[in-house]
Amino acid sequence: MKISFFVTCLGDMFYVNAGKAAVELLEHLGCEVDFPKAQTCCGQPAYNSGYHKETLEVAKHLVETFEDAEYVVGISGSCVYMIHEYVHLFEEGSEWQKRASKLKDKTYELTQFIVDVLDVEDVGASYEGVATYHTSCHMTRLLGVTEAPFRLLENVKGLQMIDLPNRHDCCGFGGTFSVKMSDISEQMVDEKVEHIEETKANLLLGADGSCLMNIGGRLSRNGSSVEVKHIAEILNSRGDL
Amino acid sequence: MPMHIGEKDFKKRVTKGLEDDFMRGAVRSAQGRLQDKRATAADELGDWEDWRTLGSEIRSHTIEHLDYYLHQLSEKVAELGGHVFFAETGEEANEYIQKVATEKEAKKIAKSKSMVTEEISMNEALEAIGCEVIETDLGEYILQIDDHDPPSHIVAPALHKNKEQIRDVFHEKLDYLKSEKPEELALFAREKLREEFLSADLGITGCNFAVAESGSFALVTNEGNARMVSALPKTQITVMGMERIVPGWEELDIVVSLLTRAAVGQKLTSYITALTGPKQLEEADGPEEFHLVIVDNGRSKILGTEFQEALHCIRCAACINVCPVYRHVGGHAYGSIYPGPIGAVLSPLLSDYDEYKELPYASSLCGACTEVCPVKIPLHEQLIMHRRKIVEDEKKSTLSERVVMRGFEQLVNSANLYRTATKMAPFLTTPFAKNQLITKGPGPLKHWTHARDFPQPANERFRDWFENRQKRGEKNA
Amino acid sequence: MPKGNIINRDSFLTNIREKIGGIAADKPVEKPSWSVKPQKKVLEGYDQDQLISVLREQCKEIHTDFYQTTLAELTGTITEVMEEYESESIVYSDDPRFDNANIEEYLQGLNAFKWDRNDRENSIKVAERAEVGITFSDITLAESGTVVLLNDKGQGRSVSLLPANYIAIIPKTSIVKRMTQATDYIHAKVEKGEDIASCINFITGPSNSADIEMNLVVGVHGPIRAAYIVVDDL
Repeated sequence: MKISFFVTCLGDMFYVNAGKAAVELLEHLGCEVDFPKAQTCCGQPAYNSGYHKETLEVAKHLVETFEDAEYVVGISGSCVYMIHEYVHLFEEGSEWQKRASKLKDKTYELTQFIVDVLDVEDVGASYEGVATYHTSCHMTRLLGVTEAPFRLLENVKGLQMIDLPNRHDCCGFGGTFSVKMSDISEQMVDEKVEHIEETKANLLLGADGSCLMNIGGRLSRNGSSVEVKHIAEILNSRGDL
Repeated sequence: MPMHIGEKDFKKRVTKGLEDDFMRGAVRSAQGRLQDKRATAADELGDWEDWRTLGSEIRSHTIEHLDYYLHQLSEKVAELGGHVFFAETGEEANEYIQKVATEKEAKKIAKSKSMVTEEISMNEALEAIGCEVIETDLGEYILQIDDHDPPSHIVAPALHKNKEQIRDVFHEKLDYLKSEKPEELALFAREKLREEFLSADLGITGCNFAVAESGSFALVTNEGNARMVSALPKTQITVMGMERIVPGWEELDIVVSLLTRAAVGQKLTSYITALTGPKQLEEADGPEEFHLVIVDNGRSKILGTEFQEALHCIRCAACINVCPVYRHVGGHAYGSIYPGPIGAVLSPLLSDYDEYKELPYASSLCGACTEVCPVKIPLHEQLIMHRRKIVEDEKKSTLSERVVMRGFEQLVNSANLYRTATKMAPFLTTPFAKNQLITKGPGPLKHWTHARDFPQPANERFRDWFENRQKRGEKNA
Repeated sequence: MPKGNIINRDSFLTNIREKIGGIAADKPVEKPSWSVKPQKKVLEGYDQDQLISVLREQCKEIHTDFYQTTLAELTGTITEVMEEYESESIVYSDDPRFDNANIEEYLQGLNAFKWDRNDRENSIKVAERAEVGITFSDITLAESGTVVLLNDKGQGRSVSLLPANYIAIIPKTSIVKRMTQATDYIHAKVEKGEDIASCINFITGPSNSADIEMNLVVGVHGPIRAAYIVVDDL
């Protein structure tokens, strides 16, 4: 199976380990991975801020970049959802809309791809630790991926998962919201951090770099010892226990 | 009470909310309970998504043919001997209601809960002609007694108050001497209000849903105050927002079933009262005269626009009860009697962007509102549409934001430019970073780093790693 | 009743029509057939006894006392409830079913007032002071535990509202699955051009409020306690 990897801007610049792990994991599962170098950002910051003309240009660029792929797999539910959203940006019935629609049908979030397309729930990973998982809003509510990450994590040897209380609550990132309404955003991330600490887990996992950057930033500021990792990093761990 | 409430400045309202620990504690626990009750009720019902689909179809169809159904409704009401007044503005509605009150020489008016009368400041209009208006919903009554404290929630208006505060208000204003136990507080209000119901000259109700086919009005309550208001006074006025209508009884079943579950997690509330015209001959109680006031007040501006679905709202407040922003800032921070996600969508539409331009941004777009809405209003998408309008049509975004977004477009549209910029990022941010963390960021990062660290961009980007790896021939050359 | 006035309708509706591109208001609109009908699936296939079980369970949720009895035992059950509620005075609706069930005589032997359809002031005054209000249920909804009163002329809106306690006599045959069956019945009457009652009440237990810290308080403006008496042979 040939996969064009969509790393997202945060993955490219900040969470390099998540991208590396995802590539190695997909290869471990028998996929052939390429990286279309022309890829940039999905355009979500502009879209969510109301700059739709600008977003349209970005969307065209990414459609062109990825449309020859067999599958596109990304490591952020939110950014993958944005690619799915392109269909609604283009004029109804237009050629661009058709191209966007084709792209949508083959673009997946990493865990969704592994569980739904590869039909794998045990990736053979092992990792010693006590973890809790943050379900990100766009991935669960908009992309509709709710179970896949849990299925995969359940099968990681040595990993103990603890439910995160109020896990459906947003962490307060919300893109420009975290800057524009930073005082409200701070309260939201504080509440999230409180819940994470309640679990006594030493590891916070997630499938969206943006949420992890937000929560991780607050944990780090608080001097917390909770480690933050992208789910791909755990799924790609195969050390001896 | 007009639609706009409280301090004019949005930031100040938010700060006030964030600093009010009492209110935040009350809201947090109320949200928790309401969320659980709603979720349980939806699960018990089964087929919840089908119910939502049906609710959404009914609301779409009704609003698409609103002229027809309002015509049918008014014909039916008039046939039964009721009077119907169509009010394009709040002022017109109030003038008509004042006229009826004057003709009936009404001194005391008992009123059940109604958001639209808040929106048009009806109480003030009636007080201006010397009437005494008594709010009979317990929550509204508490607020009225407390020097007209504004409501902070559309279903539970006094949600921001805790029981100790309510006890103190009753003590100060009504010489209440008992404890803060909700049972004792409610019993006290029952006794106080019973006298008012019996002596009121005029009853005013809102309207949860009008039923076009029979000219009926459904009032959904738990307390029974709307029943009192429609059983005891000799004249009744019902005020409805023009979109609050369904075609027939079959549809009433669906929207009521959705409303009570989504709002309070009940299969039905204690009382659903369906009123059809004034009392008939040989009926002892009930109003002898009935007036219906149908209010536009800005709603028709929404018809035919990308926001039309906002008129599908059945005022259940489920979106408010799940909203994390609402939880932290409380209802008053929205500056509108319609708070939360639906308030952030509706308020700028019913008023304008000058008054409410911040509200569409008071959301992290987490989509919790859209997920729970029983009639499937895409609330978070409507907030994005507002943002688009503010940027593209109203041109009300800041210059610096526009410059940033233009730059962003150019950057991400050019693979080369993007590659260069991401390569530069670690070097540009080095002066601000310590141990790969930025703790005091420049520009927009300043707000972020007030409470959070920001990671420094990695020296070897993912794309470099991938390319180097290919060069080394490790995989997929 | 002479026809009421309609004011400002034309300009109001014309404005709406222009915005939505609607059709002329007097041309009938066909309701679409909805794509799903989940309301028809609720309690599908339940027989009358199963519905009674559902009702009994739901009564626990709505803070309502549930009794099941027969016509012969009905007066005894009412006495039991009156004692439980420590009540003596009664107001009941002007409804031939009381006589048909042979309990009118029993009630008249107590401190009971029959709603007087021609005397507003006195009826309201008595109802306000009565400790118990009694009515028959016209339609009873098992799912939600709701009694539906299709207030006919002598029912009195206040009978089930003003007294501190409320008793609903529920003929077993009046029990249906849910609100859908009641609204279907009312819709059918409207279709046939028949009058529907000026006030139809769907009553689900005693009155309550959660306006104070979302704590449920039972008994606000309406009754504080409620009892449902299902009569098997009615």
